[in-house]
Amino acid sequence: MKILTHWKVLILVLMVLASAAAVGLKSGPKAGVEVAFVSESSPAKNLINQGMIITEVNGNPVNTINDWFSATANLKGDATIIANGDEFQIKVNDTLGLDVLDVQNLNLDFGLDLRGGTRVILKPKTNISADVVENIKQTLQTRANLYGLKEIKFKTISDLEKNNYIQVEASGIGSDIVTNLLATTGKFEAKVSKPAYFPNNNSAVFQLGQKQHTVEQSGDTLQIEGKQLKPGDNFELDSIKFQYLNRTADTALFLANVYEGKDIELIYSDPQRSGIQQAGQNVWRFYFGVLVSAQGAEKFAKVTSGIPSIPDASGEAYLQDSEIFIYLDDKLVTSLRIGSELGGKAYTDPQISGSRETRKEAIEEKLYLQTILRSGSIQTGLDIVSIDIISPTLGSGFVRSSAYVGLLAGFAVFLVIIARYRKPKFALPMFFVTLSEIIIVLGVAAINDSRIWIGILVVNLLIILAALLKKQEMDIFSVLGALTIPLLGAGLSWTIDLPAIAGIIAAIGTGIDHQIIILDETLTGHARRIYGLKDKIKTAFFIIFGAAGTMVAAMLPLIFLVAEFVKGFAITTIIGVWIGISVTRPAYARIIESLSKEKGLVSN
Amino acid sequence: MDAPIPAKRSFYNYKLFVLISIAVLLVSVGILVNSYLSTGDFLKRGLELKGGTVISLNLPQPVDVNSVQASLAPKFPDITVREIRGLSGYELSVESPAEADYKQILSELQSLGISTEKQSVRTVGAALGASFFQQVQLGLIVSFILMGIVVFILFRTFAPSIAVIAAAVTDIIETMAVMNVLGINLSLPTFAALLMLIGYSVDTDLLLTSRVLKSGSELPIPERIKGAVKTGLTMTGTTSVALAVLMISNLSPVLSEIASVLLIGLLLDTINTWIQNVAIIRRYAEKKGL
Repeated sequence: MKILTHWKVLILVLMVLASAAAVGLKSGPKAGVEVAFVSESSPAKNLINQGMIITEVNGNPVNTINDWFSATANLKGDATIIANGDEFQIKVNDTLGLDVLDVQNLNLDFGLDLRGGTRVILKPKTNISADVVENIKQTLQTRANLYGLKEIKFKTISDLEKNNYIQVEASGIGSDIVTNLLATTGKFEAKVSKPAYFPNNNSAVFQLGQKQHTVEQSGDTLQIEGKQLKPGDNFELDSIKFQYLNRTADTALFLANVYEGKDIELIYSDPQRSGIQQAGQNVWRFYFGVLVSAQGAEKFAKVTSGIPSIPDASGEAYLQDSEIFIYLDDKLVTSLRIGSELGGKAYTDPQISGSRETRKEAIEEKLYLQTILRSGSIQTGLDIVSIDIISPTLGSGFVRSSAYVGLLAGFAVFLVIIARYRKPKFALPMFFVTLSEIIIVLGVAAINDSRIWIGILVVNLLIILAALLKKQEMDIFSVLGALTIPLLGAGLSWTIDLPAIAGIIAAIGTGIDHQIIILDETLTGHARRIYGLKDKIKTAFFIIFGAAGTMVAAMLPLIFLVAEFVKGFAITTIIGVWIGISVTRPAYARIIESLSKEKGLVSN
Repeated sequence: MDAPIPAKRSFYNYKLFVLISIAVLLVSVGILVNSYLSTGDFLKRGLELKGGTVISLNLPQPVDVNSVQASLAPKFPDITVREIRGLSGYELSVESPAEADYKQILSELQSLGISTEKQSVRTVGAALGASFFQQVQLGLIVSFILMGIVVFILFRTFAPSIAVIAAAVTDIIETMAVMNVLGINLSLPTFAALLMLIGYSVDTDLLLTSRVLKSGSELPIPERIKGAVKTGLTMTGTTSVALAVLMISNLSPVLSEIASVLLIGLLLDTINTWIQNVAIIRRYAEKKGL
């Protein structure tokens, strides 16, 4: 096995071992399904949480996602679920409300195509800059986290015409949840209605903080500070924008713009400042504290000053004819009554409360309001321009199937090689070298592998130094490869999905071609008696580098395209080709050289 | 003085083959132009490139495709229903233009008694699809240009570079024509396959060209070409065999699509490299007295 002492072969072997370790050494659970999302209405809510691993349902073991589907089909009534080793009793009335993901037993990030889930591409309704799109993306991320959607990834992408899109990928999560979350984005505004009462005489008092304005009336038309107003008119008073809504015999109603998105500074959700309480037979109350800006508080105080309060059925006192209306995208989302203690006061930390008939609705409403307020103001609405819903059943077993297909294809190739060269001695290394290419590409793509790769980088350096000392021949590409590939491995990891698999196929396809070229250059032709082995290998590598160069050139434009498919495909192909020409094929050339020298097929 | 006679014989053979390969090219161009004139597209566009909705349902048993289509057609114009049998079981595929609401289609299928539990849905808006298509066209052109530049850098002379580029262009045009005839869509995966084809095609052309031009004057040209043909056919043979396995095993529709386009392209490449390109290189080498 003297061949192993050549540095190129040694480096190949080491990188294969490192890659296998990077991919295979996974800490943590390897079987079962991971909870990706617990819906609000799930009976398992607060019992089984996101991230827990479920391994059994009603005594049936759950190792893969197919097991989960068969165990939970038509599941009703009492169910015993084992998650993270603990037993949970869940009563299923309607649906279980759990979205799950297959647990991976390899250190690879399998993409949506293989794990299942939802992918959505959003386009802003109006033309906005990349910065604003970035803000929107972060807001969506925040809201997704709030909803408990942690397995959701957001990315901004832009196409050749500088259109900006936001891509949302949610592994294992159903499409309704994603589209509902995304459908509610937009311009946030909170307006407060303010009444003006006309007692028996003709004018009313419109109080804004300390200032009092007189409102004259004649029919529907009102007059304030010299402005003539008909119902529907907008006006400004003391730096606050109002709209005159309508009037009855003795009341005129106005709507004031009090808060914008930027006025909402913080939403509290800790137990001290937020919660749910039962307040009656069919009355569930929710509340949470809010921190607002000083300007917002001032406006609120001014607008709500001078408004009388009345008690409601439960005895709580609220401001009369005055409510907070919350608008998103100029559409009314909800309205809240204002507690009388808040009237006329500039509280920067008011509390928002409301009630619903059931606990579930109260919780949903509270979360909904918190999310809307917390997300701040997003200047523009988003259109959904593409939806991908992928069933998770494709993925489970895909890895195994592709391994079988790969072996079958490899065997078929082997037969062709044998038919041509009739010497398995040369075909076998081809098989192993091709396998190495696949393993190394996967190793570079693996996640959580930086320590392994940094270690290999150091070892590679040592090997190169040793080779220099031993005066083995050097070439710049192989040295570059030995150093850059561990760096790529440590720093990069990307999703293995169908485009990546296509890229791997492209790279190893050219790999086999190049190995054949090397083989032929070494073994055949009259020329071998005239030219030394080194020159022939050089000719082979001229072809190989040329071909690799054109392949990379052909792939480069794809990296700049929007379509995820071509981008992932291009990156995997380029990295695969680089690994090929800098590590695996030079090593193969060296192996063939020494094998053919052994056989005396080549002089010198 | 024996050498000229064999050369004349093989020259005749080559003339015939070159004519055939040019004929194939002209027929392909004709197919594509005809398609463009009648439909506005060289190839039928897949979902991602023109917008639309595709719903795939993995079902335990086959269903009557025609009756499903008949039930859906009144409510959803231009809807097509197909079935696919593969490694992953029996699949029902329902396609519709972009305006259709996939949720409505799903509930309609449910009311027909079809299980929608194992579903996959893809919908792409028409505007986004058009944008992708634009990028695909641009990407193809830019890839070609870059590939051409690299080839020129490698050879630094006009004729061999043109030969390599011409073979690649011919491959792509002829493959697209066959795709047109077989009804294979231009989609993002098949677009990727066409680019891969550029890479593979250049592999074989580079092999031929460098063997003929750089091997020195020891071997007569026909010998050099024969050697290159042997190597090249082995290369194409191994790749074709592997792709055939991939295609037949039907691992996933995307991979099968890529495999079939590549397979078609490689077989056409065999004609183009070893006939068209050979003819050009022979003439060039003979002229230069190599």
